[in-house]
Amino acid sequence: MLRKIDTSIIWTTGVLSLLGVMMIYSTGGAAFMVRQIGWLAISVIAALAFFRIPPRVWLTISPIIYATALIFVLAILFKSDVYPKRWLRLGGLSIQPSEFAKFATVLMLAYYLAGRKRMQNFKDMIVPTIIAGLPAMLVFVEPDLGAAQIFLPILIVMAYWAGMPGLKILILFSPIISALASFSIYAWVTYITLLMIFLYFRRQLNDLIYGFVSNSLMGLTMPLLWNSLKVYQQNRILAFFSPWLDPKGMSWQIIQSRIAIGSGRLLGKGFLSGTQKKLEFLPERHTDFIFSCLGEEFGLAGIIIVLGLYAYLCHRLLLLAEETRNRFSSIVVSGVLAWIGYQTFINVGMTMGLLPVTGVPLPFMSYGGSALLACFMAIGLCLAISRTKMAY
Amino acid sequence: MDDRVVAFKIIRNLIIFLAAVLVVWSMKLQIIEGRKHLRLSEENRIRKKFNPAPRGRILDRHGIEIANTRPGFYAAIVRATINQENLNTLARILNMTASEIIERSAVEKNKYNPVKIAHDISYEQLSLIEERLDLLAGIEVGAEPLRYYPYGKLLFHVIGYVGEITSQEMERESGYILGDYIGKMGLERYYEKILQGTHGIEYVEVDARGKEVGTITEKRSIPPTAGIDLLTTIDIALTESVAVYLKDYERAACVCLNPQNGGILVLYSKPGVDPNIFTHGMSSTEWDALLRDPTAPMYDRTTMSCYPPGSTYKPFVALAALDAKMSGEEKRFEPCQGVYRLGRRDFRCWKKHGSLDLDGAIVNSCDIYFYQLGRLIGIDTIADRSSRVGFGRKTGIDLPNEKQGILPDRLWFEKRYGKNWTQGHIFNLSIGQGDILTSPLQLACAYSVFANGGRIPIPHIIHRDDTTYFDTNFSSETIEAIRRSLAGVVDRGTGTWARVAGVEVCGKTGTSQNPHGEDHALFVGFAPAENAEILVCVVVENIGHGGSHAAPVTGKIIRAYLNSMQQQLSAINPRPGQDVEED
Repeated sequence: MLRKIDTSIIWTTGVLSLLGVMMIYSTGGAAFMVRQIGWLAISVIAALAFFRIPPRVWLTISPIIYATALIFVLAILFKSDVYPKRWLRLGGLSIQPSEFAKFATVLMLAYYLAGRKRMQNFKDMIVPTIIAGLPAMLVFVEPDLGAAQIFLPILIVMAYWAGMPGLKILILFSPIISALASFSIYAWVTYITLLMIFLYFRRQLNDLIYGFVSNSLMGLTMPLLWNSLKVYQQNRILAFFSPWLDPKGMSWQIIQSRIAIGSGRLLGKGFLSGTQKKLEFLPERHTDFIFSCLGEEFGLAGIIIVLGLYAYLCHRLLLLAEETRNRFSSIVVSGVLAWIGYQTFINVGMTMGLLPVTGVPLPFMSYGGSALLACFMAIGLCLAISRTKMAY
Repeated sequence: MDDRVVAFKIIRNLIIFLAAVLVVWSMKLQIIEGRKHLRLSEENRIRKKFNPAPRGRILDRHGIEIANTRPGFYAAIVRATINQENLNTLARILNMTASEIIERSAVEKNKYNPVKIAHDISYEQLSLIEERLDLLAGIEVGAEPLRYYPYGKLLFHVIGYVGEITSQEMERESGYILGDYIGKMGLERYYEKILQGTHGIEYVEVDARGKEVGTITEKRSIPPTAGIDLLTTIDIALTESVAVYLKDYERAACVCLNPQNGGILVLYSKPGVDPNIFTHGMSSTEWDALLRDPTAPMYDRTTMSCYPPGSTYKPFVALAALDAKMSGEEKRFEPCQGVYRLGRRDFRCWKKHGSLDLDGAIVNSCDIYFYQLGRLIGIDTIADRSSRVGFGRKTGIDLPNEKQGILPDRLWFEKRYGKNWTQGHIFNLSIGQGDILTSPLQLACAYSVFANGGRIPIPHIIHRDDTTYFDTNFSSETIEAIRRSLAGVVDRGTGTWARVAGVEVCGKTGTSQNPHGEDHALFVGFAPAENAEILVCVVVENIGHGGSHAAPVTGKIIRAYLNSMQQQLSAINPRPGQDVEED
């Protein structure tokens, strides 16, 4: 049986998880490492269990899982008394329902998209957008922008994999670009001009109308909305969008993280020899910023190896999605790929100062039980799919 | 599925592209900017910490510490990490305002460096801060060596004091960091470079909040080098005695020196200030009050106050006359009738002395004799001989801010009064009044010429084996003649209050006329008459006649000193009787 499954997925996730445990020891000490090993054990058991479940079972229970996840996310909004409301206490454990909501959303999207053979028009995107948007909105108000943003690439990639034309998707989500560009009038005018030229030559009236109306509305209302806010409200929103902005001054974390990675140079300072993390220059160093410590202690060599592992894992998942004959299973794998790939890119880009700081953990490596367990559940599911990929 | 193949390629290329972006970016950080980032990470965690060196001690002639160091505690803040709440807590503990603390810390440009904002905090304050040090981010306390003056105000004007370095001093001097102490006055200032010592350098590892985590072993620490001890010629026991003898007077100055080598035994100026208060740090109102005090306690009356020498100047006029061979010892002028008429002005003497020779004129301090003597020998002779013994010139003592006084000569009078200056000015000069001004130290040095047979030593407070002298080229007969008269002053003249049983004392009284109030009383004396060991100059301000106030003090000082020397001698060489027993 093992001959049929994709062993590369097993060993890449295994190596990455063990590297994570190492780095957690280096940054957080033995106590965190022991707890992470405990979570890892639970995660492996969960993955093994999921591996045993035939994929078609998931197809039938997807709506139930999705509904349960939504209830959990909704529950913490009312139940949790800590701010931000991200954790739910279950017995002695605190779990992050948003991590499991990602898993549930992937299943639910696949459930819906598998049922629709033709994905062509904007209206085909309405239900998937609601499916992904619902948990995203709930997580967003927790507030957890980092977790909320993941639902967008999951939706895009899964819809694309299900057959939705890429350009349609781009046009559909172009108002988001318009909103971002609207903070600079030059950027927005350039953007809207290029978009209109592009849409005009596509000669599709629906696209043109939708693109023009949505982008113009978004671009015009955003600045108005923004300016109608009081300064302290603007600051609150800015602080919300960059939650790690701290009293030490502008992007202290990013500066320290860049210094940590940069000072690693080619081969790094050596395992356990990083100085940035040891002296608390790096905040969140065993969770969201664990990659900085990897860069500091193992240098460019370590970074290339780890990024190579992630890229290889994504590549294997992509291959699996392509080879899987069952439409539902194939779309599920594409969702897992989008989830893990996007989160890796956002996290690593953030630690290098390439992308804005949003609290996104590095899959498999960051300290944290819920994220690890959710990823392993997804990997277990993918392995189950790889076992049965030839079946329709 | 055609669509899937395209989608596969696009997603695969996207994965490769995004991974490549991250790798290229990390190459930029780690390879292109790697050296810079490595340096930044080192600077991040290593802080160069300067440990202040203990200042050299200052010792009196017998090795008694008259300035030493004691441990003290300071409080410092790191502006980058302190928050308003902690600032307020600290301000409350230190009895300061938060804005005061910020103002003090503003001198340090780098907000990540700790700045000392309070020195010498009390144990209560220290424990209040220390017990919540973990909560008080951005606050540090530590120990540092602090200056301590066991004798307080007694030696204030000699030793001076130390205070925190000002920004102007920082610009002028090198080798200091903010929060350092620097000598501001007296020996502390003059021998700053010797006493100062060198900072130790310690490389400490700090965490993100600027808190010390440990010392760096890769970089060797340099321990602080203590300043060099200063052995002085000061006699603290004698200074204490002087203070006791002068306790009834509000403002006074006393210089005691060894006339043979210029070693200063006592420099005492009253009133004084306890120099320990400057170590603690002083508010600007306290400082202003000190400067505005009408008794001028900051002022060193021994080297910076200049008085007309009064009759203590007469021996130098006599010396000038004898040396220039313009008048002899036997020379007699018009007898003193208590008043001498020059043109339309009357010049008075304090008593009707009758006819006197030079010796009699010095012993009885007759003004009228010296009016006529001064007139006979003229301004040029007086000014020339007086400048030879050091009037109008700094003595060269190892103290900052010494005043040179004024010795008027022909040019000076012309400048001051035009061509029309009169004989009257010479008359006044001849009895040491009017324009001539001298510091007690200068006067003491000038008198050394009689005490040591004709040389002016450069006075010094630091102990030294060799002494530099100004040669005066007076013949020993001349010197001896005046010295005999000075012995006569104490023996049977105006200075009999300075007599000391068992030893011949030489001296001269003086009354320094003071246009602003009561006259100042002066006395300069030395003993023994042959090979003098001590020379004393006492000035008591606004008290009247020198013979009755300054002379008795001088006598007591000389007695106290010679007694202590006798005791030391007998301690070293036991009496002959004991020698016999041992044989």
